[in-house]
Amino acid sequence: MTSRAGSLTLSRRSAVVLSAGAAAGALIGLFSRRAGAVLKLDVTQGTIQPIPIAVPEFVAVATTDPAIGRNISEIIGSNLGRSGLFAPIDPAAFLEKITTIDTLPRFPDWRAVNAQALVTGRISQADGGRLKAEFRLWDVFAGQQLDGKLYTTTADNWRRIGHIISDAIYERLTGEKGYFDSRVVFVDESGPKERRIKRLALMDQDGANVRYLTRGEDLVLTPRFSSSPDTITYMSYGNGDPRVYLMNIETHQREIVSNFPGMTFSPRFSPDSQRVIFSLQRGGNSNLFVMDLRSKETTRLTDMQVIDTAPSYSPDGAYICFESDRGGKQQIYVMAANGGAAQRISFGEGSYSTPVWSPRGDYIAFTKQAEGRFAIGIMRADGSGERILTEGYHNEGPTWAPNGRVIMFFRDPGGGPSLYTVDVTGRNEQQVRTPSYASDPSWSPLLQ
Amino acid sequence: MRDMRTATTISIIGHAAVLLWSVWSLAAHPLDSPPADSLPVDIVTASDFSKITQGVKDAPKAETPKPLAEKVAEAKPVEDTTAKLVEKKEVKAARDLPPSPEAKPVETKPAESKPQKDSTAEKKPSDAKTDPIAEALEKSQVKPEPKKPEKAQADKTPVPPKKPAPPAPKFDPKRVEALLDKRDPARLAAAAETLSPAASLGLPSGRDAQLSMSELDALRARLARLWTPPAGAPDPRELIVLVRMRLKSDGTLAAPPEVLNSGHSPYYLAARDSAKRAVIRGQPYDMLRPEHYEQWKDIEITFDPRDMIRG
Repeated sequence: MTSRAGSLTLSRRSAVVLSAGAAAGALIGLFSRRAGAVLKLDVTQGTIQPIPIAVPEFVAVATTDPAIGRNISEIIGSNLGRSGLFAPIDPAAFLEKITTIDTLPRFPDWRAVNAQALVTGRISQADGGRLKAEFRLWDVFAGQQLDGKLYTTTADNWRRIGHIISDAIYERLTGEKGYFDSRVVFVDESGPKERRIKRLALMDQDGANVRYLTRGEDLVLTPRFSSSPDTITYMSYGNGDPRVYLMNIETHQREIVSNFPGMTFSPRFSPDSQRVIFSLQRGGNSNLFVMDLRSKETTRLTDMQVIDTAPSYSPDGAYICFESDRGGKQQIYVMAANGGAAQRISFGEGSYSTPVWSPRGDYIAFTKQAEGRFAIGIMRADGSGERILTEGYHNEGPTWAPNGRVIMFFRDPGGGPSLYTVDVTGRNEQQVRTPSYASDPSWSPLLQ
Repeated sequence: MRDMRTATTISIIGHAAVLLWSVWSLAAHPLDSPPADSLPVDIVTASDFSKITQGVKDAPKAETPKPLAEKVAEAKPVEDTTAKLVEKKEVKAARDLPPSPEAKPVETKPAESKPQKDSTAEKKPSDAKTDPIAEALEKSQVKPEPKKPEKAQADKTPVPPKKPAPPAPKFDPKRVEALLDKRDPARLAAAAETLSPAASLGLPSGRDAQLSMSELDALRARLARLWTPPAGAPDPRELIVLVRMRLKSDGTLAAPPEVLNSGHSPYYLAARDSAKRAVIRGQPYDMLRPEHYEQWKDIEITFDPRDMIRG
């Protein structure tokens, strides 16, 4: 009886063990088959190179301006090319002429000219004069449409259509928000060096559509965009002391923000545009203040016998970075937006000034002066990862593109200043065409 | 006195004898050193090293090294041209087509037949690798032979058969090694088309890398050259893309690249498309040699740009 029970127990246990073993075997078999069938490979290095893109002339249907199709495709091509991330292909090489956007392009023809992406578009004009623009973005090698959109606008806004389409293409292919549909306010400088006339000017980010906002009677300095693309703040020496102004760039209406005894400098908006932060100079010292634009209430943020200036908010509005000589030389400090202890983040050779927090929040751009040279660089908000993007005799005044990947600044090699852009890798530097000398640029947020 | 002289004589003779013996014996037997094994030294190139097969270090070097095989492989259904030739040959029995040494008709046939576990994966009953659990079962004289796992197993082919055919004695002292065999019963015998009990020259760690590292490196280099990952994501993990690439034997894609992971951020979409573009543009993958096709016909590639973004 016992032995029978024993053998029964044994057999049952064996059965359990056997089935478990079989299951494990099946499992291993499954894995080994999978591992055996599929070869695995890790690719951890790619190539940083511009994506070749073809932007053939947009098909124009019943437009008053027959050249508008080509003009728009040229705006797109030049935007993408300037970004450094794309290499527009010379239209002379194209094999297929796009006559409609409703059929598939002949992909082999576009592969033959080495295009990886293709933009086809159509622009048509209704009776009322409104423009309708459509585009399709194609992946030439996969033979797939990646994006396609339709926009309508007034006829005089046709350049913006080009910029908006550029942004859509840029975002789809890089994953980044675009920055082409944006504007730049800057100080236009004309006349002889001794009697330079300085006017506030506004242009599209590509240098087109320059408009003047002031007439040049008063000296203007440090224009800055608010978070809304139609409001700027700037400093002007009206009669006597410099004052901080607000201006609506559409209506040209302006108002004085502050009227303090002493000198106010380097105003900048908070990200919610509800406050303006600036430095106020009294005697030999300069300290940071913030003013609520609604209540006009002013709060002091620093109170030291030093020069604190050039404050800039983090995009979430929780912190500010600024320059201070409290450690002996001008260096960059970060502190909470409502004051308190400040932490020094710049420790390199030379002095650091005009810190600007990126709209993405990942970097702080700065001007660095060492051994008689001025450089534009970036570092992370904790001071790590410092990288010099451009260096030379005199570079100054960095401002971020809305997507935080490009910086505009001005450079004065001696004769007069001009505007330049450089991307965060430092690889792609370009001059921005302006009608005359230009300095102190400020990049707007995206218009849409 | 006389006693003393006798004792002295004995002592002198005895000492002399010991001395003489020691001198003789030391002279006669010089210390012999153990003979040093001579080590054959070959100069190995990097590609030779990457092609080291699995085997034993001291096995004789064969001209054409066989993979270490402990059982006959299951015949795989093959779709390539050689298999078709074999099938044709089967139909036209009259014609004598010389079979290629690789594909033996006898072994390719049972691919269709159902009881493949018996016919192809048959093992000698005296084989040392018999399943110990099965042994224990026999010992207890009960044969519950659970059918279900057996059947499931039959589908997952590479498991060794659980059915030892001949009824064994209760305890066979000759087979005690089988009982002592503590290896995982589910361990897979290395399978090949023919049994080769003798190990071929190789290293225990050799992974039978018939697809050489130089081929893989060339493939990786081509993809790296064509891949332009977007660099800007705040979280670079969003940029990792898993792509499965199925290839034809001429090195072109058999199907569009299949993306195995997913994501919704614009960064992921851009990264995914850049990886797919690289895979498509890399055709034909002519650095992969046709004789290794079985190994590279299906490749899973992880595109991970985090190393290049850092810093």
